[in-house]
Amino acid sequence: MQPAAFHIAAARAAFLWAATAGGPAYAQAWVYTLDPDHSFVHFEVQHFGTSTTRGRFGPVRGVVVLDRAAGRGELSLRIPTASVDTGIPVFNARLRQADLLASDEHPEAFFVATRFRFEGPRLAEVRGEFTLRGIGQALSLHATHFACRSVEGGEVCGGDFEGEVLRGDFGATFGLPLVGDRVRLKVQVEGRR
Amino acid sequence: MKHTLIAASLALLALGSAQAQTVSYGIDPTHTFANFEIGHMGTSTLRGRFDKKEGTVQLDRTARTGSVDITIDVGSINTGVEPFNKHLLSEDFFNAAKFPTARFVSSKFNFSGDKLTDVTGSLTLLGKTLPVTLKATQFNCYMNPMFKREVCGGDFETTLQRSQWGMGWGLNMGAPDTVRLLVQVEAIKQ
Repeated sequence: MQPAAFHIAAARAAFLWAATAGGPAYAQAWVYTLDPDHSFVHFEVQHFGTSTTRGRFGPVRGVVVLDRAAGRGELSLRIPTASVDTGIPVFNARLRQADLLASDEHPEAFFVATRFRFEGPRLAEVRGEFTLRGIGQALSLHATHFACRSVEGGEVCGGDFEGEVLRGDFGATFGLPLVGDRVRLKVQVEGRR
Repeated sequence: MKHTLIAASLALLALGSAQAQTVSYGIDPTHTFANFEIGHMGTSTLRGRFDKKEGTVQLDRTARTGSVDITIDVGSINTGVEPFNKHLLSEDFFNAAKFPTARFVSSKFNFSGDKLTDVTGSLTLLGKTLPVTLKATQFNCYMNPMFKREVCGGDFETTLQRSQWGMGWGLNMGAPDTVRLLVQVEAIKQ
């Protein structure tokens, strides 16, 4: 399926799910499509216990369903692994190899979450499953910022989310332990409805 | 015994100061980056970095002194969004055609014991030079197995008000003035 087709299908499926799901009812669910100019996964990892090496994936594609009135939501995001950008082309190429991101075999990482925790109208935490190199692990991202704003013809919601994974848990083991196991994720997302 | 120990300690101290020497390090461009963060529409954080830079560091870990001179190629700005890069390089922000480089120079390294705590220097941006203090959040030296040389480095942070350098675009529309800098540095003993 083409990315654009997936995109629309995922949005439609998410919306239908939102409209028909049982359990605690959605009060007013909206589907937000991620804005590719403002949706990136940044990562940080310790280098030789000395400094922090940073990089970025993205733009992240996907949809987020938010129902701020009911305090519910869900999301489905796709992260192109070959988009990794550290600012050093040889590092990027190395990161794409089989013992790290394995981009040929696993061109995408995924984050799917249905457990949204709100503090009042503000999204505070998202818990779901992160899949990298075909291996899924639980991941919790907590919001350091979250806000919505009106724009012409709609609304934009977004924020900053942080969490961490151990890359070894996903089989991305090259360079351990000189390059750290703990990878800190700093995610910028903005979505529009 | 006590006197022997004191004498030995004094001898070691003397040896230490005799060995105090300034060592030159060349920055490792693959582990040296100026990253920046700025708020976007009160919603999320925009991040970017500069990919090309060069510079040198002098460090005397015994005397606890140092100096640094790093030049950044402004045109190498990288946010992952090409139209945003172009806008940042325009006259609205960095005016890269007229001011192709930014430079950080310091000869004031402050230590607490053996630990580098902050570096006070000056940042030249848009042709204007103003004092900036980079706070060290991490500092360490290690033997790098690839270079077979000592590498010293760390993480440094500061917060700038971009308007002080005359970069005021968007302030009247509510864009933030505050920019957070997160700097990774590693430098290889020459």
